[in-house]
Amino acid sequence: MTQLPAPGATPAAPPPAEPLPTTTPARPRWRETLGLLARNPTAAVSATVLVLIVLVAVFDETLAPYGPNEQDPSLQLQPPSRDHPFGTDEFGRDVFSRVILGAGTSLRVGFLSVAFALVVGTLIGLVAGYYGRWVDDTLMRLMDVLFAFPAVLLAIAIVAIRGAGPANAILAIGIVYVPIFARVTRASVLGVREEVYVRASRSVGASDWRLITRHVLPNAAPPIIVQTSVSLAFAVLAEAALSFLGLGPRRPNPSWGLMLADGRGFIEQAWWYAVFPGLAIVVTVLCFNLLGDGLRDVLDPRQRTLMAGGGR
Amino acid sequence: MTSPAEQEVLVSARGLEVHFPVRSGGALRRTTGALRAVDGVDLDVYRGETLGLVGESGCGKSTLGNALLRLVPPTGGTVTFDGLDVTAMGRKQLRELRRRAGMVFQDPFASLDPRRTVAQTVSEPLEVHGLHPGRQARAARVRELLELVGLDAGVAARYPHEFSGGQRQRVGIARALAGEPDFLVCDEAIASLDVSVQAQVLNLLRRLQRQLGLTLLFISHDLSAVRHVSDRIAVMYLGRVVEVGPAAAVAAEPQMPYARALLSAVPVPHPELERSRQRIVLRGDVPSPARVPSGCRFRTRCPDVFEPCPDVDPVLQPVGSAPGHLAACHLHGVVGAPVQRAEPGAPVGAGDPAS
Amino acid sequence: MTAPLLEVEDLRVDLRTPRGTAHVVNGLSYTVGPGETVAVVGESGSGKSVSVLALLGLLPERTATVTGRALLQGEDLLTMAPERLRRVRGPGVGMVFQDPMTSLNPVLTVGRQLTEGLRAHGPVSKAAARARAVELLGEVGLPDPGRAVDRYPHELSGGMRQRVVIAMALANSPALLVADEATTALDVTVQAQIIDLVERLQAEQGTGVIWITHDLGVVAGIADRVLVMYGGRCVEDGTVDDVLERPVHPYTRGLLGALPDLATADDADLATIPGTPPAPTDLPAGCVFWPRCPVRGDARCETEQPPLAVVGAGGGELPHRAATWCAEGEAS
Repeated sequence: MTQLPAPGATPAAPPPAEPLPTTTPARPRWRETLGLLARNPTAAVSATVLVLIVLVAVFDETLAPYGPNEQDPSLQLQPPSRDHPFGTDEFGRDVFSRVILGAGTSLRVGFLSVAFALVVGTLIGLVAGYYGRWVDDTLMRLMDVLFAFPAVLLAIAIVAIRGAGPANAILAIGIVYVPIFARVTRASVLGVREEVYVRASRSVGASDWRLITRHVLPNAAPPIIVQTSVSLAFAVLAEAALSFLGLGPRRPNPSWGLMLADGRGFIEQAWWYAVFPGLAIVVTVLCFNLLGDGLRDVLDPRQRTLMAGGGR
Repeated sequence: MTSPAEQEVLVSARGLEVHFPVRSGGALRRTTGALRAVDGVDLDVYRGETLGLVGESGCGKSTLGNALLRLVPPTGGTVTFDGLDVTAMGRKQLRELRRRAGMVFQDPFASLDPRRTVAQTVSEPLEVHGLHPGRQARAARVRELLELVGLDAGVAARYPHEFSGGQRQRVGIARALAGEPDFLVCDEAIASLDVSVQAQVLNLLRRLQRQLGLTLLFISHDLSAVRHVSDRIAVMYLGRVVEVGPAAAVAAEPQMPYARALLSAVPVPHPELERSRQRIVLRGDVPSPARVPSGCRFRTRCPDVFEPCPDVDPVLQPVGSAPGHLAACHLHGVVGAPVQRAEPGAPVGAGDPAS
Repeated sequence: MTAPLLEVEDLRVDLRTPRGTAHVVNGLSYTVGPGETVAVVGESGSGKSVSVLALLGLLPERTATVTGRALLQGEDLLTMAPERLRRVRGPGVGMVFQDPMTSLNPVLTVGRQLTEGLRAHGPVSKAAARARAVELLGEVGLPDPGRAVDRYPHELSGGMRQRVVIAMALANSPALLVADEATTALDVTVQAQIIDLVERLQAEQGTGVIWITHDLGVVAGIADRVLVMYGGRCVEDGTVDDVLERPVHPYTRGLLGALPDLATADDADLATIPGTPPAPTDLPAGCVFWPRCPVRGDARCETEQPPLAVVGAGGGELPHRAATWCAEGEAS
């Protein structure tokens, strides 16, 4: 180990000229990010609420006091009570249980569609931004075309072609968000690609693949992460909108959008029917948005230095 | 020092050109001209020497440094590295070139990936070229490299933002040395550092050069620093090397009017000297590299411009008393290619060193 | 000796930062006479730029605390009402910064920006202002000023832009010109042009100049007097010959030793100053330089702050002073 064949590399090492940093312990980047995020109250609360919502969606069957389609014809459109904290619907189903059970559907559609958009969009943006020229032109014009359609219209068209249902809703919403991710990624990659450290890596012989995976993507990631959070909010809304229009998940399975659509007809007799699913949507969307804002601050290196009190 | 003629050439450029297309705006992006960043450079770098490359911003010195390593593709001429044609290299040979030639960049705050530790940065060349395989061997080599550049090996796990500019530049140098290169290009490597830190890095580079037998191309606009580290100095103007020679000769007796003006403009920290000095203040600005003057490219600002300057493009020719001191200037005899004009005039007789 | 143009007395600047209070300037006193050039020298973080920004009221009020006195022709800049200070800045003090683009508005023509400065400080007709703008551009050596006046900043080269900024700074014939690293971003030949220009205008108009730079070579060429700053303090001042040729403070010596010198090139290693400058939030007790000082010859170094005291031969009008405990034994 000590006999490394480095020509002339037996240095008469000069005394270290400067005191070396000893105060800040080396911490992985993501842990630092989490630490900073915890110090941002809005983002921390949002993240906590979102974790709770996800937990509710995961343990929905344990948590829901009633089944999704458990009907009690004697209890139609009952206002919130001790037995039914969110009241009941026109079939006497428990709205509270259905909100809990609908969380899974709504979040699944949200997460899966954004995951689809994230993977496809980031890939397209990465290739376009990194390789530039005609690759960039072709891909981005394609994205422009996709972007030019109003989002909901596009989703409706896709569902109309492929039929309603959760899988198609996911695909539809996902495709709608691909151009956004492609654009955000491309813009970020264009900036990072010109960084000196990327040139430096190339100068030591790193391959394109290595440059992209080790340097470009990690450094281009912050805006993409923020976009993911914001898009999740929109995707939950879009799921609600599609369901509302009857193009998403089908009855009688509960989803927040579907409940909102059904509750709308009873808004004058039974406000709770539409309000509670609506509230669930609002809280989720708000939390994703606030988390996105928090991430934007935390992932900005300048903010980071300021908040961590470290750096230069 | 042995005379240049007896020395072995490591890197050589002949008629090297890097022209960037100038495109018009609009959707069609037609190519309307060329930005001649490097425009016919002849330059040899001898094994084991430090060659200083000076010139003002926009003269193409940085592009030249990049083109020698094919980090910017040359559009004309040839470059050879240890006898191999760099412009014709295939994938494998190019990778080997990347190992054998390193680069140190200007801004130490920008040249290190903020998301990677010092160890990751320094070991990248090792991974890329499969040197010192195995985690432990690589870690040991990284420690060795850090100590070589005067850093404590204990800093390997830290991130760049925890370091000062001088320390970061040392990390950058360690990375450049990781592949055990023969040739190191330092592109304005001290320009963003404070004076006292510049001195540390200059000393380090000199020590490494001697210790490892490196060949160094030291690109800088700081003539004092270049004079301090270099064995030879090359002066660039508007994409062309216009004077080259032993450092002492070029610094003390520059032969080409531009080199003279450049050297006379360098301030030195001696009030007496500064007061008595006759500074040559040049007229106007450097022409755009998209519109290079005909003949001698310095003629539009030259205080000594005369008849043949617009018509004959001067080539490097021996000047002064020191061996290996060359300048491209008609004052030392009109040598060069006559400018091709639309109507065949009678250009001044070329290839006739009058003196 | 004529009355000084600018008299700075015990200037102190504290900046509130997330990491605590930064003592950026700690008791700076100097004067600038008419036609005199005072160079303020230091490395990054020495407080040299902040010290002049403070004089001109250009520090953010929310985070900066400025104390002391700064009399410009008898009027204290530090206690001046903001409105009055704004008026003083044009005709009283001209400013040139490192990056000319920070002083130029990219969407206005050069002429527009010059005339705005002229017309803000007095009733001048549009045509007269334009004529004066062309004249000014000619004075600062811009080729073809009649056409340059209608150009936008991005159409000019860096050196030309800096000349426009100097023209703007000189538009109202200020008594004092502050140049903060004004030539640092420029090439040496352009730097030579700019220095030439400033010296000429100074000779013509008797402008006092504060030239802030890290480049000791430029200092040697342009300054009458030099003030070396370190850790927010003046560690040495005196005539340019005294400070550069007979430096006393170990820091000044270190700085000069670290400089590769075109005039006296040799093969020896450059001297270096070990360590890094102190953080202004955490200045050492005693002599501000002691943690990096190669001499440290006195017991008081680490505990007692040395005063700025006359060193070497004679006081005279421009005494050579240094703030160090090692002066007695070391001064040549």
